[in-house]
Amino acid sequence: MVERSVIGGMPLWAGQGARIGGRWRPAGGGAVACGEVSRVLLPWTSWRWGGLALLVSTRGGGLSGISRGKSEQGLCCTPKTAPGDHLLLGLDTSSRAMFSEQAAQRAHTLLSPPSASNATFARVPVVTYTNSSQPFRLGERSFSRQYAHIYATRLIQMRPFLVSRAQQRWGSGVLVKKLCELQPGEKCCVVGTLFKAMPLQPSILREVSEEHNLLPQPPRSKYIHPDDELILEDELQRIKLEGTIDVSKLVTGTVLAVLGSAGDDGKFLVEDHCFAGLAPQKPACPLDTDRFVLLVSGLGLGGGGGESLLGTQLLVDVVTGQLGDEGEQCSAAHVSRVILAGNLLSHNTQSRDSINKAKYLTKKTQAASVEAVKMLDEILLQLSASVPVDVMPGEFDPTNYTLPQQPLHPCMFPLATAYSTLQLVTNPYQATIDGVRFLGTSGQNVSDIFRYSSMEDHLEILEWTLQVRHISPTAPDTLGCYPFYKTDPFIFPECPHVYFCGNTPSFGSKIIQGPEDQTVLLVAVPDFSTTQTACLVNLRSLACQPISFSGFGAEDEDLGGLGLGP
Amino acid sequence: MRACDWGFGPSEGGGGLDPSACSRMGLVQWRRSPLLVPQAGRGLLPHRQIQVTYKWLSYTLGVHVNQAKQMLYDYVERKRKENSGAQLHVTYLVSGSLIQNGHSCHKVAVVREDKLEAVKSKLAVTASVHVYSIQKAMLKDSGPLFNTDYDILKSNLQNCSKFSAIQCAAAVPRAPAESSSSEKLEQSDPPVSPEMQASDELTTNGHGPPVPKQSSQQPKGIMGMFASKAASKAQDANKETKTEAKEVMNASSVGPKAPGKGNVISNFFGKAAMNKLKVNLDSEQEVKEEKKVEQPPLSVTEPKLAAPVDLKKSSKKAEPVRMQQKEKKRRKQMELSDDETKETENMKKKRRRIKLPESDSSEDEVIPDSPGAYEAESPSPPPPSPSPEPVLKTEPEPPPVKGSDGENKRKRKRVLKSKTFTDEEGCMVTEKVYESESCTDSEEELKMKTSSVHRPPAMAVKKEPKEERKGPKKGTAAMGKANRQVAITGFFQRK
Repeated sequence: MVERSVIGGMPLWAGQGARIGGRWRPAGGGAVACGEVSRVLLPWTSWRWGGLALLVSTRGGGLSGISRGKSEQGLCCTPKTAPGDHLLLGLDTSSRAMFSEQAAQRAHTLLSPPSASNATFARVPVVTYTNSSQPFRLGERSFSRQYAHIYATRLIQMRPFLVSRAQQRWGSGVLVKKLCELQPGEKCCVVGTLFKAMPLQPSILREVSEEHNLLPQPPRSKYIHPDDELILEDELQRIKLEGTIDVSKLVTGTVLAVLGSAGDDGKFLVEDHCFAGLAPQKPACPLDTDRFVLLVSGLGLGGGGGESLLGTQLLVDVVTGQLGDEGEQCSAAHVSRVILAGNLLSHNTQSRDSINKAKYLTKKTQAASVEAVKMLDEILLQLSASVPVDVMPGEFDPTNYTLPQQPLHPCMFPLATAYSTLQLVTNPYQATIDGVRFLGTSGQNVSDIFRYSSMEDHLEILEWTLQVRHISPTAPDTLGCYPFYKTDPFIFPECPHVYFCGNTPSFGSKIIQGPEDQTVLLVAVPDFSTTQTACLVNLRSLACQPISFSGFGAEDEDLGGLGLGP
Repeated sequence: MRACDWGFGPSEGGGGLDPSACSRMGLVQWRRSPLLVPQAGRGLLPHRQIQVTYKWLSYTLGVHVNQAKQMLYDYVERKRKENSGAQLHVTYLVSGSLIQNGHSCHKVAVVREDKLEAVKSKLAVTASVHVYSIQKAMLKDSGPLFNTDYDILKSNLQNCSKFSAIQCAAAVPRAPAESSSSEKLEQSDPPVSPEMQASDELTTNGHGPPVPKQSSQQPKGIMGMFASKAASKAQDANKETKTEAKEVMNASSVGPKAPGKGNVISNFFGKAAMNKLKVNLDSEQEVKEEKKVEQPPLSVTEPKLAAPVDLKKSSKKAEPVRMQQKEKKRRKQMELSDDETKETENMKKKRRRIKLPESDSSEDEVIPDSPGAYEAESPSPPPPSPSPEPVLKTEPEPPPVKGSDGENKRKRKRVLKSKTFTDEEGCMVTEKVYESESCTDSEEELKMKTSSVHRPPAMAVKKEPKEERKGPKKGTAAMGKANRQVAITGFFQRK
């Protein structure tokens, strides 16, 4: 998947915009590595990036040499280094790893008279693909169980991670105790599940209770309040948390370890806390060619916006090789898979009329989703006739609402299911595509945390869920979830290479490094119907590029509507 | 939307297309296609809404998308040179990378010609520029472009990537058996599916369990048609299931019409047995027609149904496919279908009018008579609706005769049941008498299905998949569908 080289024992991942070490990062968003140079092993020739390579060696904090050059010609810079030097390597890989630069390689041929022969490109074949979403499939569906089991099993499963993490952080001698063993004033570490008491949290019981006679509260974008309190629970007891802990940021259901001491007043004074951290990661196998996976979410069909339909069609046309010049089509042929991350239908298709109105009044009316599903079928047909497609359901799609959302029923897509390339998958979806582990949701987990936490950025929340090693900590509390009781499938068993969530307000991507050499690309896949933007992930370099579409309208005379304004 | 009416043809003075392209698709086709026949005021658009997108051109002429783009470019260039195309408005597709908020974004935009340079200058790297569409009128927004593409795409859905520049080897249609069984992906049931498919094909004919007999009689007519269809492409199987599904829906929504239809079809075979194939087609068309009349919202799906017919036609007569004029096309189809069809259609309507009282009386007076009456009308047992048939077929054990017998039995039972039930609940019913009756009746039947065993598998199986089919569609439709027979009779009983 990714070219790897080693500089002084430090791994170097080419083409990622993150800083592995050192104090310097290139403006173009390349990779930087830093390490003590004992041996330099730079397989330049195998790197086919067209971008600029920069080598900076530092000695004792000062700059001792800069080499730069095009890596395309092989090793064209020889860093003058000596053992003991720190070598920083910057690869401005923002160019070749990206879709558009590859697309621009060929000569433009279409502004010319008709030619006799036109190139046709073959879609990159599927090398390896494994769908690992089995934990999210529901076999028997029993809804008679209590949700207590899921919290219990979550704590049991997560405790070993947290204990080891706590020992790493606060020393192996740290006292790990259960709540029932706490002695007042004794400094120790406690592992437990958070509960956040929130006065603003909507409660159906409160709404229906006649004593209060409250009006139903208007929906808010966030339910946090200064009076929120954190309570830590373990198997037997609960205790209120105080001290240096960010109440507004944390959410119910998070399993964490806190360090501190119980006070005489029955409260726990927190000095520090830690999460389970990133799960261990299997290395990705390197790819020798660029391949892309297109992530799209929130097509929002049936929403009534005609303008977004052109965008959707342009998206389909780019992927299926209709649009663009030969270069673009050649690049598009390297899109090895399309993942549709939920909300294929618009919220508007979920009309509640059929529930509120008398049956005889709605007898003749057709559900709004019928037309939208037909349209979706046609879009899926076009896509699956040209590329493997994975379709995840989302919040507004016609499947179950509770969280491991089961695949959409194939009956709904009589046209598209004719192709074996169409795959209907679960909502948290996990698969290994050409050696790269993907995990993602349609965004309910992140948007739910957004509502109950002070974190504003969806990408930040996504990263936070990776840190707490749980896809959806708020799940049984404020987000619908199947009552699991043996295992909690939302705990990360292993760290993915690409972790995404759909239906975010804007695009965002980031590469994070874990303490155990994990590298994860986080992608916030924007809602397509509002942003007209999708994301292309390069499997080789884990570079992520947004791809956006636009038509033109009457109003955008000054190109403002194209997103091209200053 | 007839793009080439305004002189896109090859014989247009100077403004034609590359001769190689002409020869490739055959000049005959060019000439015969009304699209390409040069018109009087050449170079002028007949009306202002006309536009040609590259995709439209590619599908219409059957050329590679890139060639279509080049054709459009070439056309514009020549027109501009002639100065006669001064009022042509061109939109371009531009793509490339754009630095936005610090990260480079691949931008794909459709722009008007006057904005082309401005957009290009904003792009850090320009990946592609090509003509997207040509139109006579200045486009205020890009919405119409989508509509043009959408219509042509809809009629070419089954080979939508035929002319594209990317071919995917992995994208092969599933085996017909696999695709027809709707359960497919994970819980597909292999032994059932081939039979399912067979039944699907049969139902498309519009007549049910008897078909095995008929097909053996007329192997050339019906089965031949389907065999050739199946051979032509597996997609057809898919289409057929579609048709079938629609018919089911149709039957359910039309309700009172269905029994009449069954009879008409049997009449077809009585009277116009000479041309089975045609009748088949016609009946299909009728179904379509009915559906159109009854359920306007469904009409959007129609092109899918109509497309194959149209395609066949276009290949034979080199007629262009124009999906946006569905009305026109239908009229044309009606004209093409011979008078016989119309006659039979009239007959059918009459028949229905006559028939309803008939069934009414039969139920009023002698209950055992009602199945007899049906059989008398059509020696080959016609089930009233096509919906239960696929199910009957899925079960190999009971022979068709038994199945039809079961059907009759069920009918009788139903009547009896409804009587008892109206006694119980009659007062609850206020407005739609027959609807609630049918509802209770179906419930009754379900109960019977689970509890009583003496009317065993044929019925149970029949019932269940029906429910399943209804599931994704509509609850209300399901209600009406449950048994339209009783519904109608109930209506007339009130009178």
